Amino acid sequence: MRRRPRLLGLSWLPAVVTAVGVLVLWTVVAASDWIQPAYLAPSPLEVWDAFVRANTYHPVGGGVDRVVRGEENYFLWEHLVVSLRRIAIGLVLAILVGVPLGLLMGTVESVRRVAGPYLDFLRSIPPLAYMGFLVAWFGIYDTSKIWLLFLAAFPPIALATINGVRGVREDQVNAVLSLGASRRQAVTSVVLPATTPDILSGIRVAVGFAWTTVVAAELVNGLPGIGGLAYLSGTQNKIALSVACILVIGLTAIALDFVIRLIERTLAPWRGKA
Amino acid sequence: MLPWKKSVLTASLLTLALSATACVGGGEEATAGGSDCPWEPDESITATVRIGYQKIPNGDVVVKDQKILESCAPNATITWSNFASGGDVVQAFGGKSLDLGLVGSSPATKALSAPLNLPVSVVWIHDVIGAAESLVVRDGAATDIAGLKRKTIATPFGSTAHFSLLQAISDAGEDAADYKLVNAEPEQIAPAWTRGDIDASWVWDPTLSELKKDKGTVILTSEDTAKAGKPTFDVGIADNTFVEKNPDFLALWAKAQDHAIAQIADDPDKAAESVAVEVGVTTDEAKAQFDGFVYLSAAEQAGPDYLGGKLGKDLFATAQFLLTQDGIAAVGPESAYADGVDASAAEAASK
Repeated sequence: MRRRPRLLGLSWLPAVVTAVGVLVLWTVVAASDWIQPAYLAPSPLEVWDAFVRANTYHPVGGGVDRVVRGEENYFLWEHLVVSLRRIAIGLVLAILVGVPLGLLMGTVESVRRVAGPYLDFLRSIPPLAYMGFLVAWFGIYDTSKIWLLFLAAFPPIALATINGVRGVREDQVNAVLSLGASRRQAVTSVVLPATTPDILSGIRVAVGFAWTTVVAAELVNGLPGIGGLAYLSGTQNKIALSVACILVIGLTAIALDFVIRLIERTLAPWRGKA
Repeated sequence: MLPWKKSVLTASLLTLALSATACVGGGEEATAGGSDCPWEPDESITATVRIGYQKIPNGDVVVKDQKILESCAPNATITWSNFASGGDVVQAFGGKSLDLGLVGSSPATKALSAPLNLPVSVVWIHDVIGAAESLVVRDGAATDIAGLKRKTIATPFGSTAHFSLLQAISDAGEDAADYKLVNAEPEQIAPAWTRGDIDASWVWDPTLSELKKDKGTVILTSEDTAKAGKPTFDVGIADNTFVEKNPDFLALWAKAQDHAIAQIADDPDKAAESVAVEVGVTTDEAKAQFDGFVYLSAAEQAGPDYLGGKLGKDLFATAQFLLTQDGIAAVGPESAYADGVDASAAEAASK
């Protein structure tokens, strides 16, 4: 594993100063009259309150002692987890289809010639364009959303796999073949491992793509779901909650990317070294 | 580390993550509105029902929050899904994903007209829209609809508010072409208003209240257009096959809706609490919003002014409006809209 220089001295200082600066600027803008009406510009504190409310049992307020659970009967983290589960299922299906398809298209020329244009076509369509007819076919529940995520995630994975296969050095394959390996063994013990870094890059792209898609897909019957909650809170003029959702969506995207890079480093530690 | 160990590690990590996400059960068990069935529960009903609702202050959210259906038909399986607009509810009916749903009279008409021609019926009137949808004017720009000529009016196109606006313009003897009508969703209207991009808007809450607070004056309401003979409604639509197969459940559903409508009149505090929880307003706001609607008992609905007769004509008029808005491909025969209304559930509940 690559060694990074240790965090010495004050190297974290610029990041912290920037973060504090952003918060101060945000507070000032929220407190000023620049943005009208005032509820459109919640302060960091209001956003934090909305975030806490959304994760706890809290009184509904307005003189009623009725206590409600989070937002829409789910805590905010549960909304997030439901969205993540949709992504995970869509992504696993995309990997199960995309990787074998990519291997096949990368190794067999005729398959590539037949299936290639369709893959390019699928890749170039914004996934939300399918949403209308996916709803007509699969209904408004999770099936249509998972189909959508699958369609969003599998082209980048397949394409990355194809690229990876084509990047495998021919002499390495020929070497194992001349040592008596079968074609299948050449694929499983040379081509697949050599392609792993590309597949992982493809998955990384696919996760980013799937995440933005799921948030948008939850505009219709998206509760529970973080995208659905962000949209609903906007229509109810609960802008502080909207902003809290946006921050959670953004931070989750960064965290997902980090996790995949971690997996990348474990599974393909040689990447960027040869 | 050996390669296969790594893949085992990754696979188990993924499995762990997936199973961790599987444990979100939702909050069905917690913090219910805490009510039992107001009458003897019927254990013989075992229907599976998928209901689409909207966050509108009427009996539907009271029924949902107080779990009247769940406690009165304990053996039925009931799923509630939230929708932001009637258009989304109609789309869900098109995808065969709903059995019952709440929509405005415009989307209901859309569902009954070409090209959709969905096999649905209007079985209930959740409310008649009154001051809840109003024409609000900025900074005293005008005192009547004629004074708004050549000014900008924002409203969500194809909605009941849009229908009322066009009716009001033609009732005043004016031509809609003389007005700058812009299509905007309610949540986009408030910021545009504050910037001064629009002079007036026919819209509903919470945006309506925001505009009134921000130098807005109401000059016309949907109650006025209703009195002029062009009412708008929030109605309950049901899948025809479902209606045929589950008359028991539908009768219970109508009885529950009737109970909620009675509660709005007799015990507004309790009803307002449910609306506060479901719609996301305070109880005071909820009670104030009740005044913006007319709620009809099952007996009133079943009568000739509504489900029992005139509603079919109102839907037909709405279809003619939607045709001019490109909302539908063709207006069906008047009988199609009369046949699209089914008063049987309201009749059963009024007994």
